[in-house]
Amino acid sequence: MEAGSSNSSGQLSGRVVDTRGKHRIQAELKRLQQESRFLEEELEQLEKMENASASCKEFLDSVDSKPDPLLPETTGPVNATWDQWFEGPKEAKRCGCSIL
Amino acid sequence: MSVSELKERHAVATETVNNLRDRLRQRRLQLLDTDVARYSSAQGRTPVSFGATDLVCCRTLQGHTGKVYSLDWTPERNRIVSASQDGRLIVWNALTSQKTHAIKLPCAWVMTCAFSPNGQSVACGGLDSVCSIFSLSSTADKDGTVPVSRMLSGHRGYVSCCQYVPNEDAHLITSSGDQTCILWDVTTGLKTSVFGGEFQSGHTADVLSVSISGSNPNWFISGSCDSTARLWDTRAASRAVRTFHGHEGDVNTVKFFPDGYRFGTGSDDGTCRLYDIRTGHQLQVYQPHGDGENTPVTSIAFSVSGRLLFAGYASNNTCYVWDTLLGEVVLDLGLVQDSHKNRISCLGLSADGSALCTGSWDSNLKIWAFGGHRRVI
Repeated sequence: MEAGSSNSSGQLSGRVVDTRGKHRIQAELKRLQQESRFLEEELEQLEKMENASASCKEFLDSVDSKPDPLLPETTGPVNATWDQWFEGPKEAKRCGCSIL
Repeated sequence: MSVSELKERHAVATETVNNLRDRLRQRRLQLLDTDVARYSSAQGRTPVSFGATDLVCCRTLQGHTGKVYSLDWTPERNRIVSASQDGRLIVWNALTSQKTHAIKLPCAWVMTCAFSPNGQSVACGGLDSVCSIFSLSSTADKDGTVPVSRMLSGHRGYVSCCQYVPNEDAHLITSSGDQTCILWDVTTGLKTSVFGGEFQSGHTADVLSVSISGSNPNWFISGSCDSTARLWDTRAASRAVRTFHGHEGDVNTVKFFPDGYRFGTGSDDGTCRLYDIRTGHQLQVYQPHGDGENTPVTSIAFSVSGRLLFAGYASNNTCYVWDTLLGEVVLDLGLVQDSHKNRISCLGLSADGSALCTGSWDSNLKIWAFGGHRRVI
């Protein structure tokens, strides 16, 4: 709080300026101005941006190019370890922890 | 400058920002001439078709005595670490179903866990606001208590998610209820960078999830209760590279697409979305229809080609398998034989993509794999 003025006994004159929020408002203003700049940059980028259809094509090409063990139909090559979950146990081992 | 003048400038700046956001939204809509599903349909693509016994539950990992909240696979050797409401981390050999470690945590309120790239350590975090690292070569006492090898302290809110930087055992990223993400040096326990927070532009609400790109480990995505996802470059922490709008509720989960140029999100608004990193475009919305249309999405994972998106929901044991190209649900793991008995809270693919692990409030983890006839084209 800033006092407008005070008399000789130290009492406030009645005109008191509240600056409790001043620094916080300044910080928020700075952040908003920064945000404006970022948003303007992004708008500029968007002026030269290609349509979504170009990105969709890239997406399809990416998906089609990779072998996928969880698909019923997939491009190769197939990895022999894909079916390891259905092979019998290679060795019997006791549970390693004594707690559970 | 007086307070009232400052307040006036603040109001003008707020209006400027809102106008710019509107213009951005309009411009993006103009660029959205199609989405992945319409594009794929126009190309004559048809949905993935699963037979009744193609995707099967081939292992049930039993041992937790409370809800499973988080799981992570090793990059190799098929081990999984899981975190549970029972206050323990369990390390499993997923092939044999055996438990190799059952670590009793100093703070039982755990929310997330992760395996280090070399498989020798596990990290976890939760309501204690700390990320704790345990070495798997440490000896546990009879209670299962293992000494913490490193504590990463500094968040001012709960640790919601943690992930090691791929191929870097010394670096890990956490997300937090304090609205920030932090990149840590595990060897020193110190923060390398803070993303967001009071003096930097970043999320404006709790951050719930992170995902680091496998193809460019300098990039990561965060998802937040402020309904946005943000892309960060770890070399420039002062601002997010891009903010992705669209969701109408908390973004609970984010996951990079396998090629590293796209990512998926899951939200309280009931949808999953696919975004393009380079352009910022929202490429597809995956929205269930009918009953449970707006059921929150708890967790997502892509199959290794990205053709399938697995999504767990906050009701029953629903786990939809989405065909990402056609935007359709092609299977519900909740209806497959031997499915979970309660909601699925976490899921993840093995390193080679041959298995999906799901963790559930029913206290179990399950491993799913393709057991049908595979056609190679």
